[in-house]
Order: sequence, then structure tokens, then C-alpha cells
Amino acid sequence: MSSELPARNKMRICVVFLLFIFTICGSINVDTVSSDIKIKNVDRIIDCSSQLVKTTSKITLENSGKAPIKSFLLAIENVLKDHISFLGVKDSHNKDLRLIETTVKGYDYIKFYRVELKDVINAGSSSIFTAESVFTKALQPYPTAITQQEDQLVKFNGNLYFFSPYYVISQKTNVILNTKSVESFTKVKPFSQLDGTLIFGSYSNIGPFTEKELSVHFKNNSPFLTVTRIERLIEVSHWGNIAVEEKIEIEHTGAKLSGPFSRYHYQQDHHSGPASVRSYKTLLPASAADVYYRDTNGNISTSNMKVKKDSVELDLRPRYPLFGGWKTHYTLGYNVPSYEYIYHSGNEYLLKMRVIDHIVDDMQVDELVTKVILPEGVHNIKINFPYSITRLPDTLHYTYLDTQGRPVISFTKKNIVENHIQDFQLRYTFPTIIMLREPLIVVGSLYALFLCVIIYVRLDFSIHKPEHAHKD
Amino acid sequence: MSLEIESMVRHVSPINPAVFPHLTLLLLSIGIFFTAWFFVYEVTSTKSSRDLFKELLLSLVASLFSGFGILFLLLWVGIYV
Repeated sequence: MSSELPARNKMRICVVFLLFIFTICGSINVDTVSSDIKIKNVDRIIDCSSQLVKTTSKITLENSGKAPIKSFLLAIENVLKDHISFLGVKDSHNKDLRLIETTVKGYDYIKFYRVELKDVINAGSSSIFTAESVFTKALQPYPTAITQQEDQLVKFNGNLYFFSPYYVISQKTNVILNTKSVESFTKVKPFSQLDGTLIFGSYSNIGPFTEKELSVHFKNNSPFLTVTRIERLIEVSHWGNIAVEEKIEIEHTGAKLSGPFSRYHYQQDHHSGPASVRSYKTLLPASAADVYYRDTNGNISTSNMKVKKDSVELDLRPRYPLFGGWKTHYTLGYNVPSYEYIYHSGNEYLLKMRVIDHIVDDMQVDELVTKVILPEGVHNIKINFPYSITRLPDTLHYTYLDTQGRPVISFTKKNIVENHIQDFQLRYTFPTIIMLREPLIVVGSLYALFLCVIIYVRLDFSIHKPEHAHKD
Repeated sequence: MSLEIESMVRHVSPINPAVFPHLTLLLLSIGIFFTAWFFVYEVTSTKSSRDLFKELLLSLVASLFSGFGILFLLLWVGIYV
């Protein structure tokens, strides 16, 4: 009982605990901005042609100090802070670098990432990095509601300059829109408009943490499909099969449809409803078989499947076109052979599968729940994720020929894009002999049935005794 | 200590899924034959001619073949247990 502890002991525990907290905070979360680092040049591309905002920045980093540097900081501008879904940095050898979310004292309101370098940058030399980031829901439909015939206009608000804790000597930004119909955009000289691209810069000598609004208002009729929730179920069988089932809720999150929907005009003229989504493509693994696409009413027959060299392409057409604010939900399932994803050495097994798979091109997923159902008798389960993810408590699943239930590993993540299509690794121990249990359950129950018959024929239910006992 | 993926081999089913239908038909037909034999024996034999050992043996063989036959039937139709 803690209340009965002597006061001195309690104090000691408190101090140890506080020390523990301080060491944790101190070692992981606080960084400082090095004044030795300067950015010589940034070539930034902001791709707004889909529903996502994808930026690619080529950063030339210079070490102007005396000591070699092992890491540098990336910052996310406030205007886009809540929209970031993915950030990845590659070095000049195209190798992925490790990123750690961090904070800087005095800049609590800014989101920072520390990039850990593989090779240090020596004093006086420079190195090139490519930072890739993806933002979801950063394009706001404006106007927020349109009629069936109208084009969808969206507004992007970002930062005109590359947002960085370091001094940037020279920079240039290309905004890809894939359309010439631009309503308005921020005009800070020098700038130019070329086909579907806006070019800003080059701007020179921009100080750290400089924010200046970059606003572009343009036509964007690309599909604005948000997967509001996906539940992905992976059922592993050691008899050679992995069954995957995805329950998907999808919504058109572009400009809402105002006024009536005319099916007649929609069928008559293919240019009608430019902002609506008639169909979309989902890519499955090349080995996918027995594909089904259904909802609560049953099979949705308006779908096509094409088997390609390295994937299976599904052309999914929902029961109705999707306009802004409209939603649909369906179940998509398929089987893949186990040898594609399960590896073993003795009784040690490794399942290597995707956390999430492709649903739509340039997809954005609000919430993902993945569940992995392992065979009965599996123990020693360990799982590795490619990025931070929330693991949910393990549960049990009961299906055919189960006695104690199959272990279910589940995990969840919010705000997902295509860059998150990566493999998790699940290790477990499974003695092969346990596979015999399932047929033996069937054999045992059949044998019990036969035994009942054997006992039954030995019982005598006759009311009267035969006149001549044992006549035969 | 965890093994590296390079040192592991791909896991295949102990029985090739391509032979599930054949196994099902073969095992189930043998199983049904013995089941039929067992029931015919049960209804034709009398109290005095009944042999418990033969009954137990027939039912064991019948349940073994039918049991495995049913399992492969489940696997064949796509119920991967």
C-alpha cells in the first residue's frame, strides 16, 4: 500500500520517477537549430494535380561550421501542419534516411523532424537531399458546393518559401496544376505561368522560419475520394492460402453537389458531371485469385478484372456515380497463395505482408484497421512495423474446426496515403504437427457417431419379450 | 534472436492445393464405402453373429477416410481451415 510507505521512501520514488521522465524527454524530444547549416539551393515541386498535395524538395545543404554534422532538421509550416500524412527523406545515393519527430525550444508551435544522416557532412562541404511529403485535405473546394454541370474549383494555401529552420540562399518553386484554368494565384515577382505549371522564383536570401502565403485557386476535376474507414482482414491458413478481405467506406470529399441530380443528363452526355466519380481502379497483387466485390445487397456486377503481368487490375464501378458528399461502402476480397508471403525455418514463421494495399490512385485514407488472423496454436508472436502505428489489444477469432480460438493481431493508423503501402513483418512459432488437429477433430467426431450406432444396436426397446428367445 | 528473412525458405502447403480435388474424391469414396459397409453390417447382423472388434475396426477406417476426405473437401471449396 503506497499510503503506508514511510514519507522518505515515497520521496525517493518520486525523485527517481521525475528523473526518469526528464531523461526520456531530454534524450528524445528536444533539439537545437544549428547555425552552422545553410541551405544553398532548394528546388521545390508542389504537385496539386490530384486530391493530394505532394511536394518534392531537392535540398542542397552546406556545412559552414567547423565540426561535421550528423543530423539536420526539417520543419513543417503552420498552414500545412495538420495535413501532413507522409514525410520521407532520401540522400544522394537514393537511400531512405531515418526521421524522428522532435521539438525545438522556443518554437513549440512548429512541427520538426530530425533527419539522421548515414554519412556525416564535413565542414565546408555540401550534400544533396530529396525530401518528399504528402499532405491530405490541403486542397479546399471553393466554392464548397457546385451543380452537376459545373467544374470543381479548389484552393491551395501553402508557403511561398521553403519553410526551414535554416537560412536559404536560393530557391525556386514549381506548382503543378495540370490545368490552364487558374482563377487566381499569389503574385510575387519573379513568377511565370507555363501550361499547367506555375513557377515562382528564384528567390534569394530568405531567412529561417519565413512564412508568406501562397494561394492558388484553380480547376481540379480529379477524383476526390476519401476512404473514411477501411478494415483489412488477413486470414492465414497453413494449408497454403491467405485470404484478404477489405471492408471499405469511401466518400467523395470534393465540392458538394448542390441542386438536383439528373440521371438523364448524366447518361446522355459524358461530359456531364465532370467532378463526379463514375469508376476507379484498384490494384491487387499479381497472385490474387477468387476476387469478389460486393456490398450488403450482394454482388456488384458492374466491375471488371484484368490480369496483368505484375498486378491484377480491378475496374470498380459503384452502384451509383459519386458526387460531392456522396458515399458508398463495399467489401472486396481475394485469396493469395501462402508461399508469396510466408517464410519459415523449422517451426519459426515470418509473415511479410502489406499494412495497407492500393485502393485508388492518389488515395487518402482517414482510418485503417488491419487484423491478422493466425492459425490456432500459434505462439511467440512478434511484429515489426515500417512506421509508427497503434497496436490494438489481441483478440480471439472462432471459425471452422476451432477449439481455443485463433489469435488475432490488430493495429490501426490514421491519415494514410500511397507512400504507406509498405510491409509489416510478423514472426511466430507454429509446430507443424498442430495442423493434424483439424482433420483429427473431424475423424474423432465421426468415430463418436459410429460408436453411438454400435451402442444403439445393442439396446433393446421392445415392449414384450419374444416368445421364443434366441430362436435364431 | 530473430532469424533473417534471407535464411528462411518460402512456406508451401504440406499438400499441393492442386491435388485437393483428387484427394477429396479418393478419400471420400473410400470413406463412404466403409461407412456403407459398417451400416449394412449393423442392420444385417444379429445379436449372436455380431462381432464387436469388426464393428470397431470398420467404423475406425470409415471415420479416418471420411474425416480426411471432409477436410480436403473444405479446403477444395475454399474454406481454408
